[in-house]
Amino acid sequence: MDEEFNWLEYSESMDAAAQEDEAQSSRRGLRRFLPRLPGLPGLPSLPRLSRPRLPSLPSLFRRGEHASSQPSAADLLGSQQERPLDDLDERLRALRERSVVTSQPTAPPNQALYDVDDILTSPELQSKPGGVISAAALSRAQQQQVQMLREIVGDPEQSQWAGGRRDLPAFSLGAVPRLLGSALLVLVVCLPFASSDYAEGQLPPAEFHEDRHQPTAFYDLLDNVSRDDTILVAFEYGPTAAGELDLLAELLLRHILAQKAKPLIVSSNPIAIVHAQNILRSINRSLAGADAQLLHGEDYYVLRYLPGGALGLRELSQNFADVVRISARGFPTGLEFETLDEMAEIVLIAESAEAVRNWVEQVLSATGGRRLLLATGYAAQPLAQAYADSMTSIVGPVYGIRDAFTYGEKLANNFGGLLSVDAPVEPEGDPEVVQLPVNVVSDSQVEAPRPTESQVDAVPATALPQPTATKPPTATPFMTATPRPPTATPLPTDTPAPTATEASIRVVEVISDQSVNIRRGPTTIDEILGLGYKGDMFEVIGANGDSSWYNILLPGGVRAWIAAFLVEERVVTASEFAGAQASASADAPPERVILQLDFSLRLSKNHPRFYQARPPTSGEGDRPELILSRDRGLEVPRLQAMTLGTLAAILVIVFGNTIYAARGLMRRRDSQGS
Amino acid sequence: MGRGQRYGIALSAFVAFAVGAVMTLSLLLGDNPALFGDQPGSAQLAGLLALPADVLLRLVTIVVALSILIGIANLLYVHVGRLARGKAYSAIVLASFGFTVYWYVMRPGDTSLLEAVQVPIESALAALLCLSLLHGGSRVLGKRADIWGLLFVAVVVLVLLASLPLAELAPIQAWRDWLMRVPVSAGARALLLGIALGTVVTGVRALLGQDRSFRG
Amino acid sequence: MDQTTLQVYTVLFVFATVVLVYTARYFQRRGKRRPQRRLAGMGRIAEWTSRSIEANRPLHLALGRTAVGEDKTAIALAEAEFFHHIIEGAQASDVAPIISASAGSSLPLAQDTLRRVWSSGDHLSRAQWYPPDLAYAAAVTAMMKEDDPAAHILAGSFGAELALMIDSADRRGQGSLAVSDRLDGQAVAYAMADEVLIGEELFAAAGCVSEDGRAQVDALVLDVWRALVIMGVGIALLLEVAKRMPWLNWALVASVSAILLVFALLIYRRH
Repeated sequence: MDEEFNWLEYSESMDAAAQEDEAQSSRRGLRRFLPRLPGLPGLPSLPRLSRPRLPSLPSLFRRGEHASSQPSAADLLGSQQERPLDDLDERLRALRERSVVTSQPTAPPNQALYDVDDILTSPELQSKPGGVISAAALSRAQQQQVQMLREIVGDPEQSQWAGGRRDLPAFSLGAVPRLLGSALLVLVVCLPFASSDYAEGQLPPAEFHEDRHQPTAFYDLLDNVSRDDTILVAFEYGPTAAGELDLLAELLLRHILAQKAKPLIVSSNPIAIVHAQNILRSINRSLAGADAQLLHGEDYYVLRYLPGGALGLRELSQNFADVVRISARGFPTGLEFETLDEMAEIVLIAESAEAVRNWVEQVLSATGGRRLLLATGYAAQPLAQAYADSMTSIVGPVYGIRDAFTYGEKLANNFGGLLSVDAPVEPEGDPEVVQLPVNVVSDSQVEAPRPTESQVDAVPATALPQPTATKPPTATPFMTATPRPPTATPLPTDTPAPTATEASIRVVEVISDQSVNIRRGPTTIDEILGLGYKGDMFEVIGANGDSSWYNILLPGGVRAWIAAFLVEERVVTASEFAGAQASASADAPPERVILQLDFSLRLSKNHPRFYQARPPTSGEGDRPELILSRDRGLEVPRLQAMTLGTLAAILVIVFGNTIYAARGLMRRRDSQGS
Repeated sequence: MGRGQRYGIALSAFVAFAVGAVMTLSLLLGDNPALFGDQPGSAQLAGLLALPADVLLRLVTIVVALSILIGIANLLYVHVGRLARGKAYSAIVLASFGFTVYWYVMRPGDTSLLEAVQVPIESALAALLCLSLLHGGSRVLGKRADIWGLLFVAVVVLVLLASLPLAELAPIQAWRDWLMRVPVSAGARALLLGIALGTVVTGVRALLGQDRSFRG
Repeated sequence: MDQTTLQVYTVLFVFATVVLVYTARYFQRRGKRRPQRRLAGMGRIAEWTSRSIEANRPLHLALGRTAVGEDKTAIALAEAEFFHHIIEGAQASDVAPIISASAGSSLPLAQDTLRRVWSSGDHLSRAQWYPPDLAYAAAVTAMMKEDDPAAHILAGSFGAELALMIDSADRRGQGSLAVSDRLDGQAVAYAMADEVLIGEELFAAAGCVSEDGRAQVDALVLDVWRALVIMGVGIALLLEVAKRMPWLNWALVASVSAILLVFALLIYRRH
């Protein structure tokens, strides 16, 4: 290749090519008609005929500042010199004569573009009604050009293209559809926040759907990390996706932190790193005691930013030891890892498909059989799903707000059973809101003084305790992680003993795979009192006129309605019903029927799950309780707003496109008719 | 074109070619110790061959990280120029920049500006983006009144319908899943494949020193 | 496929591309020009260029997140070539085009692209940097009001934020041509832009807007690879189908292939 390619010849050939280009371009336009004579001085006065009459077209003919070897039309015109008429060939001479004849002004000089028609067309065409533009001689593109010329040279106030500022009208009728569509969307999205009457759509289930093994495996893998495991958590989303991914990111971090594992946060997006630090601060804010603060360098690490996109990720995989040594603030972390394989798990929280691709291609492929746990936004989900379907080392994706909600439910349910049940449940204000037995602690948190954020940050990394021996990765075989069995909530002990002659009870059993709404009245606009899950039984006390809704009796004696197509009617004995009720309350997620109840989870420091591996004399017993808490008051209306917003968007899209399609059809019919 | 300029161009093209060739060889040979068999020292040889690529890539990441400074300098230059022409918006940009720098210098490590300003503003922009997308989606057939436009709208509506958490629409979810798994996935791969082909062709052009950047 | 085999294929592929490039250039020098494939929207570029010249309004060329020095360097170079030819066509205008980017490392490339055609003028302020993603879209919409560009050629790496820019351009009566190497951006471009390029058309666009031989050779080589990939995928699909349906015979497979081939040719000629 080297022999063939001579650099000097190459650059010389470039010069030759440039000259050839120049020679070719100088024969464009009218010059094409001229014979190729050496030293031809140029075109005669033909183009100049029109120039003095178009004073308002300065830009078109003004000589530009050009560096290119390819001259522009303005260059050509500017360099014209006079030439005897006799030098012209026949065709050009005829053309010139005709131009001279038709160049007599036919309109007063102050009329805009008075001479364009004269130059462009013959008198025959001009005599046609409508002038030049309507003449069949011009194609549509040409008509547009003429129109543009006309407007530029014409009245600047009416010109569409004229230079300088075109002030758009403050309001035009054309904006009405846009305004209506936007207003509709904003309105419906706000409705669920204003009133629970507009709560539409089922809430995400408390468990991932049984067809979706991958998100369950995701949860189980994170649930099985051990104390002091190090989890690489990649934050690949910026503030734009905060609304979509913050909840999921926070839950994942809480899940890891609650098990005393250490997240190593890393990102190829500098703002994402700062955002991750802020999420950790918000977790810190929710912790109760001053000494409960999570500390950088002890409980978590935020590593330095990885510049260069995919190249940065490549560096992470190739030079992991170097990357982990420096924190985001530029301090040494004291971490001594050699390769990515020492990470217990790798979790990626990604906004875009590109980030997913980069992590799979640059990081996952460089590890020796590590897994990548994917949590993504909606935009990245299709690609993430395709990866997860085709590669066994990719787990997930858990995506979007709905999955985050389910993840939170799972977290609450599984951790909920470990909580102490001594604290009383705050009764709801509305007596008609159903309350099933819940064991969720409404913890009255005491806001103890805690160090300010800057104080927390200011802890010098070098002064922090060095991590104790990092555990070798405990490789859990893929998909073998077993979910923790549902932890038992207090069972009712006063179950009536079956008697010999039992009364039959007419009940409905929920058959829908997803949770179903239990409402105050037999319509979908009635207030949702709670949720029912597959297998739940409720006593039937009636039905509406067309039997499309059952009137049911909830535990606690409250009457409610449930849609008939979601349930199956059966007749059971009283003991069967009581048994079903008991098992339902045993299996039930604690707050699954209580939507309005804010809850907080309290993980006791003495609980064996988290402290069993810790030697009692390690001194870490002084560590405060880690409290997982989330005020979920807004999450439910948010999900319902999403449902309503999607409905409105579908309406607007269908309606708008129907109008445009109809308009297009009518135009086509008109053009065919004419 | 002067002789010096010509030499300069030839030199830059040669450097591009040389660096490209070294990178390609280093990445190909250094990443795969299996190429050198099981003899002792083959891993070291591979490591040695991978070194040039490693060093060059590290250099690139440093340069890319520093390039943000070029961007910031450009932003300031453009807006100072605009301010001189009396554009008021530029004053806001420059004032915000100055305030942020002041804030960070006075309160190092405090990133509350990001949470208090950047996140709400970008979230609001994301909401505006939603309205823009809605408007754009509602006039697809106004822009492209053909069968492909119709297909596009139909798929959009179907995917949106399937995303609704309504039990009545459960059957549509199966269609959506198939749609996403087969045609959408195939189309996405086709697009990525096309871009990969283009990347290789353009990369070869740059590697051979024929890109316009090397032609002066 | 083990790594060694993969590497061998990679080397062969790159080598074949080099051979194709030189072969195409050889035939081109001998005067055998092949008609360029027509891309939708290229005609509008000429219209926007004239609008820019006549009305003294700049063209806006956007690189988006494409960055030199990262894995998208080749895309950035292809865009620079495409933009070069557009700027060349608009050089008679009194106002230099604006090139915007959200990667700092792309700025020198943008300034270089401008400098090649505009020997004088303030290149530093015509190549503009804005922070990435939504901030970039917001800054560009502000620029749309300040500078009132005639049209926007948005060819680069964009996500859904493209919608904000195109929508704003639409409201101001400014034209738009869009293409993105990201799937979400490409979908938005298809739905909203006046003209759209899809996928690898970004790399062939330079050859379509200019008479430059090298750009046309690139487009030609791309066409050859594209045809080979389509044929390869088609054959693999047929073999897969044949494997699953034992009752298929070769005559049927051959006739279906022939029909598909004719269909593909028809589509190719139409575009």
